[in-house]
Amino acid sequence: MAEMWISMGPQHPMTHGLWTLKVKVDGETVVDTEPDLGYIHRGVEKICEARDFTQITTYCDRLCYASANTWSHAYIYAAEDLLGVEVPERAEYIRLIAVELQRIASHLMWLGAYGPDIGNLSIMVWCLREREMMMDLLQELGGSRMHYNFPRIGGVKRDLPHGFAQRARAKLKLFLNRIQEYESLFDESTVFLVRSQGVGYAKPEEMINHGVTGPNVRAAGVDYDVRWAHPYSVYSELDWQPSVERSSIKGADCYDRYRIRVEEMRMSASMVLQALDKMPGGAETYHEPGDPKILAKAPSRAPEGATGSHHFEDSRGESMFYLAGGGEGRGKMPYRVSIRSPMFITIPYAAKCMIGYKVADIPAIMGSFDPCIGETDR
Amino acid sequence: MGKKVTAAAQQKAAEALAEAISAIDGVSAALDTRTSGTQPRHTVSATSTPDSWRALAETLAAEHGVDHCSMITGIHWPEAADKTWEVVYHLMRTCVSDPASIEGVVQPNITDADNVEGADVPLEIQISVALPDTREPAVASVQDIWVGADWNEKETWDLVGIDFDGHEGMRRVLNPHETPVGYHPLQKQHKLRYHGFEEMYDDAQGFLRKPADSGKVK
Repeated sequence: MAEMWISMGPQHPMTHGLWTLKVKVDGETVVDTEPDLGYIHRGVEKICEARDFTQITTYCDRLCYASANTWSHAYIYAAEDLLGVEVPERAEYIRLIAVELQRIASHLMWLGAYGPDIGNLSIMVWCLREREMMMDLLQELGGSRMHYNFPRIGGVKRDLPHGFAQRARAKLKLFLNRIQEYESLFDESTVFLVRSQGVGYAKPEEMINHGVTGPNVRAAGVDYDVRWAHPYSVYSELDWQPSVERSSIKGADCYDRYRIRVEEMRMSASMVLQALDKMPGGAETYHEPGDPKILAKAPSRAPEGATGSHHFEDSRGESMFYLAGGGEGRGKMPYRVSIRSPMFITIPYAAKCMIGYKVADIPAIMGSFDPCIGETDR
Repeated sequence: MGKKVTAAAQQKAAEALAEAISAIDGVSAALDTRTSGTQPRHTVSATSTPDSWRALAETLAAEHGVDHCSMITGIHWPEAADKTWEVVYHLMRTCVSDPASIEGVVQPNITDADNVEGADVPLEIQISVALPDTREPAVASVQDIWVGADWNEKETWDLVGIDFDGHEGMRRVLNPHETPVGYHPLQKQHKLRYHGFEEMYDDAQGFLRKPADSGKVK
């Protein structure tokens, strides 16, 4: 049969954003793929060159609409490395809570979007219901619903508000019960199992070389997590193990990638509960904004020739910021901001995973990698 | 308590790796201690000449287990004295790229993260390659060593205009395909003016623009 190229996207439910996947098909079989990105390239890296260090946080929030907090925190750690700031311990605990709640919200958004991808429509509203609880908690911290601008260079914007710990515990307890509902919705749905099991194998031995990180690589049984391998924040103070799927040598299929995110949500919820208990000074005490217990003094100018970098475990993999600072009287602004987006590297690999499967499997495979085009295109 | 790679193990491994790669001609490497919130973080920071970069990359991958190319950054320094272009590579040794499997089930490579040592310690490596003043900056591609470098190199060429010798399938990835040849927005001759907030919100159409600003692209 003759082979031909089909353009899936830029407007296609499979894309989860705005990009094009060119697919070469032979009948119903995928023979070759080529992703085409850049539809929502906003030039964040260039814009940041004309903003001072505190202003950049808001742009980083907007890199990913589903996971704003992890991106602004990734930037803040790099900026603190550049400016040489030491963060108070209490602020680190508050950041950990904010990031892990965001991770749950992001995974829920993914789970809610993945259900409709492969024919399970009711899961969408179930997941968004719990995501709303997480966003209410994050709103208490950051003040807005999606883009929080919560971390500051040297600490956080605000302490935990009165009663936050109590509400967070209650909501997470409810959430942990409801994860079981999702599991029964998915794991007992024949449609879901048929469409996700044995589809889209990603091989453990080649993923690291291809630059794939995060849940996608842990789904294949590879225990790699920036949170323990290149430790930052106070994760080592908590009792946790990265969730790793027990995968076969064939690699991770779509089902494994769904399992890993459900497990990660459990782990994140447990981390938040532990952090609330262990926080120095207690979760019930409140410090005014700007108190040295939650915000250290930070210089606004970077020394000439300084650089800052930080690897960060984002909800989708290893994100990273590299800042080259200072120079010629412009020490308040970075000279170059470089952003590593995990999905920018993962999308070409995910596209390769589709080769050999049917056209109908493309949404199932692509969706399972959790693409976010906001961060991909920057 | 949660597992973590200790700072002491990181420091020892970083020193050993820095010493080993400094032996290569044109490469100088040192331990670089960075901050990470409340704790120190030991990394390897190296500089390499463009000519020895390819040899360095091959050595890192083959002998030191560096298996992950995290990010490639291109920087344009038109006013710097010692360089005009710079490529910064962020590589990582993850130590997990070839997992063993028992009875068909993949096993984690690192089981006791608190006690790893030597070449089993995950490590960050930053390598800076400075390029001389030229209209067509280029450096050797490492696409065939780390496939993860593929799209990073495409992006670096697309945005900054630094080419990679031996890279297959170079094309625009973030800019539109019909972008004029030679236009790379992150080069510094493309100025970005800082807008005060009054200007941004009250004069979005540019009616009140000062005479000195006329003709400037907003």
